[in-house]
Amino acid sequence: MSRKGGSSTLLREFPDFEETMQSLAAMERMPRGVVEECREAVALARRFNRTVARNYALELDRRMQEDPAYLPWELVEEANRWGFFTMWIPKLFGGKGWSLSSIAPFVEELASECLAITNLIGVHYFGFSILAATWNVRLIDMISREVAEGERTGKPCLVSGAVTEPEAGTDAEEVELLARARVRCQARRVEGGYVVNGRKIFISNGHLSTWHILIAYEDLERPDETMIAFAVKNGTPGFSFGRMEKKMGQKGCPASELVFEDCFIPDEYMLVAASRLEEMGLLSRAARKAERGPRELGMQLIDFVVSATRPGVGAMGAGVARGAFELALQFARETEVGGKPLVNHEWAQCLLAEMYVNAALARLSYMEANYANSMHGMARLLGFKPLYYYHRALPTSVFDRFMPAANRRDAVTTAFRLLVVAGQGEEQERVASGWASLAKVAGTDLGVRNCQLALELMGQAGLRHDRRAEKCLRDAKLLQIYEGTNQLNRLNIFKCLVAPAAPEAQVFQD
Amino acid sequence: MIGMSEELRLLEGMARDFAHKELVEGREERDRYPFAPLFEEVLAKAHEVGFFTILSPEETGGAAEPVQALCLVLEELCREDASLGGAVFTAALSQELLRQSGSEEAFKKASAGAASPREVLPAFPSFHNPSDTPLSLQAVEEGGAYRLTGKAEFVVLGNVASLALLPAGSADSGWSLYLVDLRGEGVEIGEPLLSLGLHACPAVDLLLHGATGELVGEEGKGEGYFEAAVDRLSVAAAAASCGVMKGSFETALDYARQRIQGGREIVNWSEVRMILSSMAVRAKAAEMLVRRAAAAVDAASPGWALASRAAALQVQEAATEVTCDGIQLLGGNGYMQDYGQEKRFRDAKQLQALLGTAPLRKLRYIRRVVDGERPWA
Ligand SMILES: Cc1cc2nc3c(=O)[nH]c(=O)nc-3n(C[C@H](O)[C@H](O)[C@H](O)COP(=O)(O)OP(=O)(O)OC[C@H]3O[C@@H](n4cnc5c(N)ncnc54)[C@H](O)[C@@H]3O)c2cc1C
Repeated sequence: MSRKGGSSTLLREFPDFEETMQSLAAMERMPRGVVEECREAVALARRFNRTVARNYALELDRRMQEDPAYLPWELVEEANRWGFFTMWIPKLFGGKGWSLSSIAPFVEELASECLAITNLIGVHYFGFSILAATWNVRLIDMISREVAEGERTGKPCLVSGAVTEPEAGTDAEEVELLARARVRCQARRVEGGYVVNGRKIFISNGHLSTWHILIAYEDLERPDETMIAFAVKNGTPGFSFGRMEKKMGQKGCPASELVFEDCFIPDEYMLVAASRLEEMGLLSRAARKAERGPRELGMQLIDFVVSATRPGVGAMGAGVARGAFELALQFARETEVGGKPLVNHEWAQCLLAEMYVNAALARLSYMEANYANSMHGMARLLGFKPLYYYHRALPTSVFDRFMPAANRRDAVTTAFRLLVVAGQGEEQERVASGWASLAKVAGTDLGVRNCQLALELMGQAGLRHDRRAEKCLRDAKLLQIYEGTNQLNRLNIFKCLVAPAAPEAQVFQD
Repeated sequence: MIGMSEELRLLEGMARDFAHKELVEGREERDRYPFAPLFEEVLAKAHEVGFFTILSPEETGGAAEPVQALCLVLEELCREDASLGGAVFTAALSQELLRQSGSEEAFKKASAGAASPREVLPAFPSFHNPSDTPLSLQAVEEGGAYRLTGKAEFVVLGNVASLALLPAGSADSGWSLYLVDLRGEGVEIGEPLLSLGLHACPAVDLLLHGATGELVGEEGKGEGYFEAAVDRLSVAAAAASCGVMKGSFETALDYARQRIQGGREIVNWSEVRMILSSMAVRAKAAEMLVRRAAAAVDAASPGWALASRAAALQVQEAATEVTCDGIQLLGGNGYMQDYGQEKRFRDAKQLQALLGTAPLRKLRYIRRVVDGERPWA
């Protein structure tokens, strides 16, 4: 055996070297401009925190406790003025086209001040991610341009993502479970479109959004094979808002019920349908491997989205881990215990160091997942150096002149789907999704942990609303639940990253 | 349970009935305080059945029950709503401090008539050990009377009670306890504080401008009284946390039996069982710890004080973890106010701060052991 050949085989054994070292592989491929963009994004978030969030966060939380039905439009408008809702929409579609790698550090920074505000801004990109994952270029272009128009005119246009149903939460995050799920949101094919009936719950920003990216199912007996996505605009007859939840934390970001009663959605707002892969130009990948069909496409769609968004939730965990750490540090500096500042007690120094470590570990995890997603996920093409620089250098106006017309053509959608959707290998899907879950679980558990530690250190002071720490804990707990509970994410880590070492293992069978 | 007397069993049953009848319905609305009315009616009923005077001597109208009784009541109440538990605990703590200080006069004053809870509930900053950090509130003697000036933070029941027991420093070393008439001159009562948990057990900041304080016990002996009270009542704090834990587990188990995901009741996923089990085990261990430690306190058996303190540290921390899982098992619903689980999580974390921060209590615990007190025979 030659030495060289020998090592590469060795390195492919579990745990696969490339798979465990995402950053090493990513570094050489990464355009240098990305670093600068990350810097600028964090600086911008810091500026926003200082000028807006710091004062407003507590006031908003208090206000929501008093009046849980309050809708914080002034926050939406402020974030809109800061340009946050188009920053990560590609220029191709009328956005500002910041590198997707810069969103997670931005999110961490915002989250170090207030998770509710962070979610209100971040979840717009969750909605946008579902839209983008369908690679329906015509609709992505149309809705993105409305978001950009809303920014110009000062009339915010946000996008929500509606997946969860009263009887299907975890089940909606994984096709294996979806196959057995009790979903109720049904899209029935009719002349010229679909009629949708059902309810979606816990939809972040529901009441504040203009567009809602809706996941429904054509056959409730076979939801895993008949997933279908729509773009639904406010005012569509048959679509209305239901209740707003009373949450423990992240109060500034509403969680809404969306109600669909014989809601007619014309064909032109259908984004993608798993049952009609051929028409969608999505069969080529399935054809390559006989066992990949509508169900696999459904999972791929879910994985596209969560591989992009779960590292973001991990970054929120890193942010709140930092926020709690910073409050604890400040407390330790201000508080005298036994005749000297708390910060001079050795045990407190070790505790603060542990909290610093927790925040750093959370950050490392989401960065690693970010690398995985930028190499393997749905926006991996934008990371190619030539494309990256081309996209970054050209002013938006140039894109605006040519792209809308092109984007309206079905051929463009087909081409993108071929490249991005069909072109993604199963390995790529697996690695991006696994790392995303890892970052989500690690970041959110560490985030909650640091909040617990901060409150322990601060005692009575930590309990007071006006000292901020208690809000961190209330806000942070949600991170372990949405974007798939940490249990579902652990199972996904097993499925994606561990099971290759145990090929006989069956997941979701128990 | 080992050695639970018939009398205690009856009391436990009574507290459980009370909790079911009075603390379940309307819990979420009551928890909106200070944005909803205070649960005066519930406080009055709790007073009627004697929950605020469990430990008080009979001469003052109390029940002179053992600490075990207080623990059972707290556990049962907190299973449903820890806010009332917070009020009961604070009343017991301030009464215990008065007892430790040997000031029967003050005690009688604090419980005189006792027609309404306001009169038996001396307010006290129960989430702080006054020895931990320098006190803002200072007392000055002026012709036999004490004038108090400064800020007393987070005084529990400070806007409900008519009297407060306040720790204040003085020019000499040490701090002392003073009984202050909250309706008297020079007392400024702040707005109810918005806090993490126990919303219906209100706390306020008090600003005192030369208000009259009646010295309780001896001057400069506050720390001694306080630590003696902590010895006895740490286990009661643990009992409150234990109750919250049990409530959280019971709600999670009920939910897991009904909620279906992946084609089966989630209780049938083995990972869900794992989480349920770790909750149940920690709750059971907490129950055993609390009962054992409470019995040791009442019997003054060797190491009873350390037993009481260890129980608090252990059980309070476990409760913060168990209630976190208690939300988790309900998924998104657990995070909403409708299911009581988010409240338990907040309450448990707040209860962990009773009697001072956990790390400083840990250090105090080990200091005593290092100094020669034996944790076991
Ligand atoms: C404030 C908030 C905002 C949200 N925002 C959005 C949004 O914008 N859009 C959207 O679509 N959704 C949103 N969600 C929904 C969120 O994604 C779901 O709550 C989450 O997926 C969990 O689903 P569930 O609440 O139905 O819990 P369930 O799925 O019912 O889970 C209950 C418990 O059972 C466990 N469990 C379930 N199945 C299994 C299994 N197979 N194995 C082991 N354990 C299992 C879970 O881990 C959990 O502990 C939001 C939720 C909240 C609370």
